[in-house]
Amino acid sequence: MGFKDILLKIIKVIFYIILFIGAIIALFPLYWMFITAFQLPNEVFSMPPKFIPAVVKKFIPLLLQGDKEQAIFILTESLRNVKILFIDTGLYRWFMNSLIVSVVSTLGILLFDSMAGYVFAKKQFPGRDFLFWMMISTMMIPGQVTLVPMYILVTRLGIKGSLYSVIFPPLAMVFGVFLMRQFMKTIPTELIEAAKIDSASELSIYWKIILPLSKPALATLGILVFMSVWNSFLWPLIILNKDYLFTLPVGLKSLQDKNLVDYGLLMSGASISAIPMFIVFLFFQKYFVKGLTLGSLKG
Amino acid sequence: MPPPRLRGGGIILVKREVILIKGKFSKLLIKNFAEYKWNYLFILPKFLLFFTFIVIPVIWAFFLAFQEFGIFETKWVGLTNFKEAFTGDLFWIALWNTLRYTLTVVPAQIFIALVLASLIHPFSRKIQTFFRGAYYFPTVTSVVVISMVWRWMYTSKGLINYFISILNLGPINWLGSSNWALPAIILMSVLTPPGVGIILYLAAMDSIPESLYEAARIDGAGSITSWIRITLPLIKPTTLYLVVIGTIGSFQVFTQVLLLTDGGPGYATTTLVHLIYNAAFRDFDFGLASAHSIILFGIVLIFAFIQFKFLSTDVEY
Amino acid sequence: MKKFILLLIGIVLIAAMLAPSVLAESKVKITVWDGFRWPNEEGDKYHWIKSRIAKFEELHPAVDIELVEVVWEKLGEKMNIAIAGHDWPDIGPVDISDGAVNLKYVEQGVIEPLDSFFTEEELNDFFPAALNAYSYNGHLYGIPTSMTVHALMLNLDIFKERGVEPPVDGKWTWNEFVTKMKKLTFDRDGDGNIDVYGFSTYVLKGYYEAWPFLMMDGGKPLSTDNTKYTFDSPEAISGLTKFASLKFNHKVSPMEMGSADVGGCFQAFANPEKRIIAVEPWASWAIATLRNNKKYQMNFVVAEYPTGKTGESVTIGGSGGFVVFKQKDKEKLKIVAELAKFLSDAEQQYTFAVNYGTFPALKSAQAMDPFKDNPQMRQAAEMLKYAVSLPRHLNWPQIDERIQAQLQLVLNGEKTATEALKTAGEQVQRFLK
Repeated sequence: MGFKDILLKIIKVIFYIILFIGAIIALFPLYWMFITAFQLPNEVFSMPPKFIPAVVKKFIPLLLQGDKEQAIFILTESLRNVKILFIDTGLYRWFMNSLIVSVVSTLGILLFDSMAGYVFAKKQFPGRDFLFWMMISTMMIPGQVTLVPMYILVTRLGIKGSLYSVIFPPLAMVFGVFLMRQFMKTIPTELIEAAKIDSASELSIYWKIILPLSKPALATLGILVFMSVWNSFLWPLIILNKDYLFTLPVGLKSLQDKNLVDYGLLMSGASISAIPMFIVFLFFQKYFVKGLTLGSLKG
Repeated sequence: MPPPRLRGGGIILVKREVILIKGKFSKLLIKNFAEYKWNYLFILPKFLLFFTFIVIPVIWAFFLAFQEFGIFETKWVGLTNFKEAFTGDLFWIALWNTLRYTLTVVPAQIFIALVLASLIHPFSRKIQTFFRGAYYFPTVTSVVVISMVWRWMYTSKGLINYFISILNLGPINWLGSSNWALPAIILMSVLTPPGVGIILYLAAMDSIPESLYEAARIDGAGSITSWIRITLPLIKPTTLYLVVIGTIGSFQVFTQVLLLTDGGPGYATTTLVHLIYNAAFRDFDFGLASAHSIILFGIVLIFAFIQFKFLSTDVEY
Repeated sequence: MKKFILLLIGIVLIAAMLAPSVLAESKVKITVWDGFRWPNEEGDKYHWIKSRIAKFEELHPAVDIELVEVVWEKLGEKMNIAIAGHDWPDIGPVDISDGAVNLKYVEQGVIEPLDSFFTEEELNDFFPAALNAYSYNGHLYGIPTSMTVHALMLNLDIFKERGVEPPVDGKWTWNEFVTKMKKLTFDRDGDGNIDVYGFSTYVLKGYYEAWPFLMMDGGKPLSTDNTKYTFDSPEAISGLTKFASLKFNHKVSPMEMGSADVGGCFQAFANPEKRIIAVEPWASWAIATLRNNKKYQMNFVVAEYPTGKTGESVTIGGSGGFVVFKQKDKEKLKIVAELAKFLSDAEQQYTFAVNYGTFPALKSAQAMDPFKDNPQMRQAAEMLKYAVSLPRHLNWPQIDERIQAQLQLVLNGEKTATEALKTAGEQVQRFLK
């Protein structure tokens, strides 16, 4: 008995090590992105790469040496990019625009897609499969060819150039419905039947039973949608015409000169852009509850 | 009553439903409207948005494939665009590249996601959260940033060549050589952790009731057996989702390639969406672009059908 | 339950706020697109066009101008879509060679010809090459405001380090060029590997930094009447062979030469941490950057492309400016044309030359001597004499794509010059009719 336990423990440790190494590899581009944002201009391309930015290495020693001036200089130099972004550009505006658009889209999709996904997963009605396949197949059409008709449509609807033009199209996205359907299929039908017998209305079944059971899927969808809308670049670029309405990716793009990529500035922008997504993730991840309440319900 | 049988294929699904609707519509509609009312209502908001912002543009694009687009006048040209698409000198290369990419990347990413999720799952919540975050966070970096990092790593004195020099190989002109360019891009995609897949698999695994595993343990099943017999089948819905979405996405691979090699060298990394993009935005030939899109759509649809056939289950916990 | 209904109502309300806006029709509305230019002290990169617009509105109170601020890189896509959606601007910052505005637009009547708005005198003030760039089928389809050339940028620090003299007056023959490049390729840190190379560049569709080399023995992509492919002539082949020999025979170029990595190429040349290439060809925008940009400032001179068998230097020139899009209303066309001219007069072209690193398209603007303190720009301006423009063919982008793809295959060693240029010729036939 003892031997088996030890073996299991060892296996767990090995798993842990593999996962850890994997995590390091996975996080490397992200790490590089953050430190490039803070690097001094000439550190960006050194090979072998400087894994720890000069500011970290030198700031404390300089302070200890009493060389306050140099220390502060290095600190301000490395924050140079951040300063440029916040002070010299409309970053704050772009950030808020992206935030509004992403939050509204995410909430809308969570609501609509869970409703639709539920019906596709659990309900029968004429035209169900046809509708579902119609939705899925539109995902297979490359976005490039729908850009022009979308543009015309948005113009005719009178919302061209306003933030509505970047809020509404994402609400039509289909992958969320697919995701919710797959997940909700696994919810035991007996629960729904039982509730019906208790003469619960459709709405309350949806709201009180289905939704709580779907928390992990909702959380996942929320993260995915937020990320997709937050990062979306091509459509906002085409449809938005004013600097103060730009979403963040478009605004950051406008900072780049034609062929010169200021990598430090680019990475600073990307780093700032990444932060809300971390926050969204942390917010949603508490819904990734293990085991859920299924067990207790079933029992 | 079993649905009427018709000759085979996916179109049948549509035909069957249409006939069902046509034939029984009036009867069903009146009789069961109250019951179906909520179904339609629940779908309504999504459907309105979907119809407005997706169906209408798609129909427009669809009809465009049979026309030659001009600013002030557009003429109907039947199948000319399709002929041009199939006989284009770049079509078959692009198709081949896209297939190579998809058929490598999608299975690899799903496999990696599955393995990693399975490794993470047994740990405590805290550790789970840590790894979930660690593997998810990289996905928030935009594809642009990741491509830049990799492009830098593939330079002659970059990280990749540095590694293989330790094995006394290279240096290889990764992004500049016809043989290595596409594999290089594939490698980048495979090594970019499938954060989404991991999270979805973890969510699915979380929902499997412990009681099933207990029962298996009582019957003397080891952990590998229960993984194969219980976990894998029960997460099939997630697998289907990832496979279909992954295929759709990989067939449309574009931005990474644009940033790394712009389809070169020669046409070694030109993909189908490249052709569409060039036709639409460089040559101003929207009809041809639409024709290409329909062809792409057709191919992906076939893949999706096959995937649904193999991975659809009615699994409930 | 209540919460649910409230949420639904909330979303419906948002949807209901979709009223199309109704504009006051009293003024003439003009839409102008412009990309970002040089920044002012507050960092506003659109300040030039904004101030010009304000000025024009002052002079013409009945006019209301809306500015659309675009990002250069995606200008082509945005404009294509707008045009396809019948939503084109009145004035756009493009040329008609390729990229943003396809010749097909011109043929279909989307661009207004501006011949009638210029006097003979005014037209003569333009450099012929600039006018040429905006002409098609005998009409003028826009107003050139600037010209560009491609030139070689020389890092003088590396030259000094190796005791090599830059070419006198910026002129050199092919052999002189090769000799100097060889001296500039060396092992700096003594580890047995070459660290610094004499020359490098990239090959990418739509970019022509490498082409003057291919043309130096007299090769040309298309015949003068644009009906035949001539890039497989012996002259073109010898030009390409010589170019490739820089990498494979004389070994003065790194492995990256000929790849599609524009950014990396520039970094290798200009990034202070790298600076491992002595000479790189760039379009003239680089001159302003290498002079003024704090990070990329370099001690450099400009040189011509080396001369080949023809004995004459060659470079590729381009032109930028504004284009007026189709107007429904003749009266409005007059005002729009006036605005376009207002944005491109000699004064503006002088300003561009000084701040933005372009050459004026007007002789009078050039006469204002914008480059008196700018030796590099002056040197590059000399090269305008030798500048040839790209063939004005309806399908040039597709032709260009085929040729550039083959060029890449020569520079990565997979094809010979002859094979590549002949293959390109075969592929290009279908686009030449």
